[in-house]
Amino acid sequence: MRISKGALLIVIAFIAPLIVELRTVLAWVNVELTVLESVVLGIGLIGVILVWALWPQSQSNGTESAETK
Amino acid sequence: MTNTYIESFPAEAKVVRAAFYSSFLALAIGGLFGIIQTLHRTGYYRFMDSADYYTVLTAHGVLLAITFTIFFLVGVFTWATTTSLDRPVEDIRFTWAWYGLMVVGTVLTAIPIFAGFTDSEMSASVLFTFYAPLQGHPLFYFGLVLFVVGTWLAGVDWFRSWWAWKQEHPDKRIPLPTFMVLTTTLMWYIATLGVAAAILLFLLPWSLGLVESVNPLLTRTLFWFFGHPVVYFWLMPAYMMWYVMLPKISGGKLFSDPLARVVFVLFLILSVPTGIHHQYLDPGIAEGFKFIAMTNTMFLLLPSLLTAFTVVASMEHGARQRGGTGYLGWLKALPWRDPVFAGMALAGLMFAAAGFSGMINAGMNINYLVHNTFWVVGHFHLTVGTAVALTFMAVTYWFLPQVTGKALWNRSVALGQVVLWFVGMTFMSNAMHRGGLLGIPRRTAEPQYDGFEFEAAVGSVGELDAQIALGGALLTLSLVLFFANVVGTALNSRSDDLPANEYADTLSGPSDAPLVLDNLKLWTAIAIVLVIFAYSFPLLSIIERGGLFGPELTELPVHIGLGLEYLWATTISTVTTASETVVALGAEVNW
Amino acid sequence: MNIHTYEKLWLVAAMVLIVGFIATITYGSVGLGITMVGDQQDTVEPTELDDERFSDPRVAQVGENEYEAYVTAQMFSFQPDPIEVPEDSEVTFYVTSRDVIHSFSLVGTNVNTMVIPGEVAEMTVEFDEPDEYGVVCNEYCGPNHHNMEGMVYVVPEDEFDLTELDAEAPGEVETGDDIDVTATVENRLLDPIETTVTLEIGNETVSEDVTIDGGETDETTFTVDSAQLGEGDHEWTVTVDDHTDSWTVTVADELEDDDADDDADEESNENTDAGDDADDGENGTEDETDTDETESDASGGDGE
Ligand code: HEM
Ligand SMILES: [Cu+2]
Ligand SMILES: [Cu+2]
Repeated sequence: MRISKGALLIVIAFIAPLIVELRTVLAWVNVELTVLESVVLGIGLIGVILVWALWPQSQSNGTESAETK
Repeated sequence: MTNTYIESFPAEAKVVRAAFYSSFLALAIGGLFGIIQTLHRTGYYRFMDSADYYTVLTAHGVLLAITFTIFFLVGVFTWATTTSLDRPVEDIRFTWAWYGLMVVGTVLTAIPIFAGFTDSEMSASVLFTFYAPLQGHPLFYFGLVLFVVGTWLAGVDWFRSWWAWKQEHPDKRIPLPTFMVLTTTLMWYIATLGVAAAILLFLLPWSLGLVESVNPLLTRTLFWFFGHPVVYFWLMPAYMMWYVMLPKISGGKLFSDPLARVVFVLFLILSVPTGIHHQYLDPGIAEGFKFIAMTNTMFLLLPSLLTAFTVVASMEHGARQRGGTGYLGWLKALPWRDPVFAGMALAGLMFAAAGFSGMINAGMNINYLVHNTFWVVGHFHLTVGTAVALTFMAVTYWFLPQVTGKALWNRSVALGQVVLWFVGMTFMSNAMHRGGLLGIPRRTAEPQYDGFEFEAAVGSVGELDAQIALGGALLTLSLVLFFANVVGTALNSRSDDLPANEYADTLSGPSDAPLVLDNLKLWTAIAIVLVIFAYSFPLLSIIERGGLFGPELTELPVHIGLGLEYLWATTISTVTTASETVVALGAEVNW
Repeated sequence: MNIHTYEKLWLVAAMVLIVGFIATITYGSVGLGITMVGDQQDTVEPTELDDERFSDPRVAQVGENEYEAYVTAQMFSFQPDPIEVPEDSEVTFYVTSRDVIHSFSLVGTNVNTMVIPGEVAEMTVEFDEPDEYGVVCNEYCGPNHHNMEGMVYVVPEDEFDLTELDAEAPGEVETGDDIDVTATVENRLLDPIETTVTLEIGNETVSEDVTIDGGETDETTFTVDSAQLGEGDHEWTVTVDDHTDSWTVTVADELEDDDADDDADEESNENTDAGDDADDGENGTEDETDTDETESDASGGDGE
C-alpha cells in the first residue's frame, strides 16, 4: 500500500466530481462524452488508482519516499 | 479516566444531546422528503398528487434549513461556551426553557404544514419563504415566532455565561469559541428583526384576519433581510468547527487566532446588509439599491476566502506535525480514516465549489440567467446541504461520544457515510446546476411542459434526471448510515476510553489580536449603521410605493373563517402535547 | 497584529478578486447599458388592472421596430398566450400579477423577472432571429404552479401582423332575407396593410381586397341571399390572413319568437365573463359595430 486505506477511499471518491465535471467542461469545447464513456473512463481511472496504490512495494521503498519529496 | 464533556458538564451535556437529537429527527424526516421530491420531480416515482409536492417541499425546507441546522448549532454553541469559558451555564432551567420553547415552536409550525396532507382545512404549503399573498395557517407563523424567540433566549444564555465569566476574569481575552458564539448571536439578533417584523406586524395579523392585506414586496423584503444572514447563521457554526476542531483533528494547531476573530467580525457587520441580492429581479426596488447589496455581497466573500486560507494552512500544519512532507505530499499524512476529519475536509472542498456558483448568483446581471432555476437548488445543496450539513454530521461523530459518554458505534460506517454524501451530492448538485442553465425551474412538481422542451446542450434532460435521482439515492443511503451510527452509539454502553473534550490550540494566539477586535459593542454598532444604510431607503421607498399594508389582494381560499378562538384552542392543546413531549424527551435522555 | 506573509498575500489577492468582480459587473451592467428590473413603473391595483395596458393584455407597436407587450400573470396562466413578436424587434415587456407572486421567465435566456402583485416589471429585450421560447413561472404560486406555462414566438417579419378580426352575422334569418356578414378588421400596426377579407358560406366564397391604415379599423359587409343557401344550418367563415372567425346561420321558413333566439349553444367570446354578447366593447375595439342585426348576435369573437 502506498497510501492508507482511508486516503485511498477519498481518492477514489474524488473520481466522481472529476468525471462529472470533466464531462461538463468538455461539453463547452464541443467534446461530448456519453454516459457510458464517462462510466468506463471513471472505472478505468479507479482501476489505475487501485493498481498504483496496491502495487507491492518490494524494492520501491526508495522511489516511494522520493515521490513524496 | 477520561475527560469528556459529559463528565465535566453532565447537566449541559443532556441539553446539548437533546438539541442534537431534535436536529437529527428533523434531518430524518426532511431527508425522507428530499428523496420523495427528487423522484417526483424527475418522474421516476410519483405516488402522490402533484399539489402535495409543495407540502412536502415546505416541510423539507423548514425542517432542514431551519430545524435541523438551528437545533444542531444551539447544541454546538452551548458546548462551545461552556467548554471554552470552562464554566457551567448560569441556570440550567433557563437552558431547558429555551430548548423547550424551540421544540414547542417547531411542533406548532409543523402541525399546519403536515395538516396540508390531510383533508382538514388547515394548511401551510407556503414553502419556507412564505411569500405573501400566499397565506399559511396562523399557527405556522406563530410557531416560527416561538422558535425564534427560543433562539433569542439561547443567545441570552450564552451572553450570561460570558458576562459572569468576565466578572471573574476581567483582564482575559474572550476565548475564541465564545467569541465566535457571541458574534454569531449578535448577527442573528439583527437579522431576525426582519422576519420578526414581517410576521408580527403583517403576516400573523393578516392570517388572523385582523388586517385586510399586506404589501407583498414589503414582507418579501423583510424576509430576505433575514433570509440572507440566516445562511451565515448556519455557516458560522460550521466555520467554527473548521477553526477549532479541524486543526486539532488534523494533529496541529489553528494558524491564527486574530484572523479568525477578524473573519467573524466581518460576518457580523456584512451579513445583513446584503439580503437584497435575492431580489435582483424584483420590480419595485431601484437598481441602485440592488447595486449596493451586490457590492456588500462581494465583500462578504472576503471572510470566506480568509477562512479557506486559514483552514488549509492549519491542516497543513497538522499534517506536517504528523510527519507529512513535500509540496503536496503532506496531504497523504492527514488522518483520512477519521470520519470527523474526512467529512469536514470534504465539506470544505464542496464549499469551495459552492463559492463558484455563488459568485455567479451574486453577479447582478448574470443572476438573471439562473435566478429561481434549478441552478440555485444545486448551489444551496452545496452550501447548507453539504458545507453545513456534512460538517455537522462529521462533527457529530466527535460530539456523540462527548455528550453520551459512549464510544461511536462504527467508524468505518461513519467514513463511508461522509464519502457517500460527497459522491451523492456531486452527482445531484452538478445535474441541478446544469439543469438550471437550461432554464428548468426550481420549486416545481412536474418540470415537464406541454408547449416546449428544455434543450440540453450535452446529453439530455433525461440524463440529468437520472443523475439527480442517482445522487439523491446515494444521499439517502448516506443518511441511513448516519442514523445507524447515531442509534448504534446511543445503544452502546458507557465507555471509559474516550478522547478528552478539547479544541484546537493556536499558533498565533489571542495576545496577537488587537484588543479592539473584542469590542463587541463597536462591531454591533457598525453592523447596525450598515444595515440602516442598506435598508432604510429601500424599505421607505417600498412603503411609499405600495403602502404599509399594500394594495387590495385577491382572497386566497386558505382556511377562511378561522378566528382567534380557534388559534387559541389549538395552541393550548399543542402546547400541552409539546410540553409533554419535552418532558418525555428530558426523561428519556436521562438514561 | 501579527499577520503571516502568506496571509497578507492572500488577503491582497482576495481584495483584488473582489474589486475585480465588482468592476466587471459594474461595467457589464452600467457600461454596456443593460438595464435591470427596477422601480421604473408606478404601482397598480392587482385586483383591478383597469389601466389601458393590462385591461387588454396584448402586444402593441410603438415604433418602427419597437413593441410593447402587456402581460398579466395569474394562477396558473399568462395573458396573452402565446405572445407573438416579429424578428429584429425590440420588445419591452410590462408584466404584473393579478394575485400572488409569479415569475415570467423565457426558458434558457436571461429574460427573467419576478412578477409581484401591485408592481409592474419592465424589461426590454431584443429579438433577432425567428425563434420560439417557452415561458415558465419559476416562483411557486399555488397547487398548479407546475402547469403555468406560455410561449413566445418570434416570427419572420412578413408573417407578423397585429390584426384583430371580429365577424358578426345574424344567427337566424327567414328564407328570402339577406344575410349580412360584417367583418371588422383592425390593423394595430403603425404601417398600413394590404390584405384580403374572405367569406365562405355554403359553397360560396366571396372576397374583397382592403387596405387598412395603421391603427385603423375597416368594416367589410358581405351580403348573401338566404334563399340561395336554402333552409337549414349554414356554417360561415371569415378569413383574413391566418385569422378566422366563424359561426352558423340558420335559415328557416318561419322565425321563432325574436326574444327566444339567444341560442344557448352560441360560442362565447374568449374575453367575456361567459356572456355571448360581444357588443359591449369589453376589449377596447374602439369602433363598435352597431349594425342592425340586434335580434340575434351570433358573432364568435375569436379573432385569433
Ligand atoms: C437526501 C438528501 C437530500 C435530497 C435528496 C434533497 C433534494 C432536494 C430537492 C430535489 C429539492 C428541490 C425541490 C424543488 O425545487 O422543486 C430540494 C430543495 C431544498 N433542499 Fe434538499 N435535499 C436533500 C438534503 C437537504 C439538506 C441536508 C438540506 C439543508 C440542510 C436541504 C435543503 C433544501 C432547501 C432549503 C430546499 C429549498 C426548498 C424550497 O425551495 O422551498 N436539502 N432538496
Ligand atoms: Cu443570500
Ligand atoms: Cu408559479
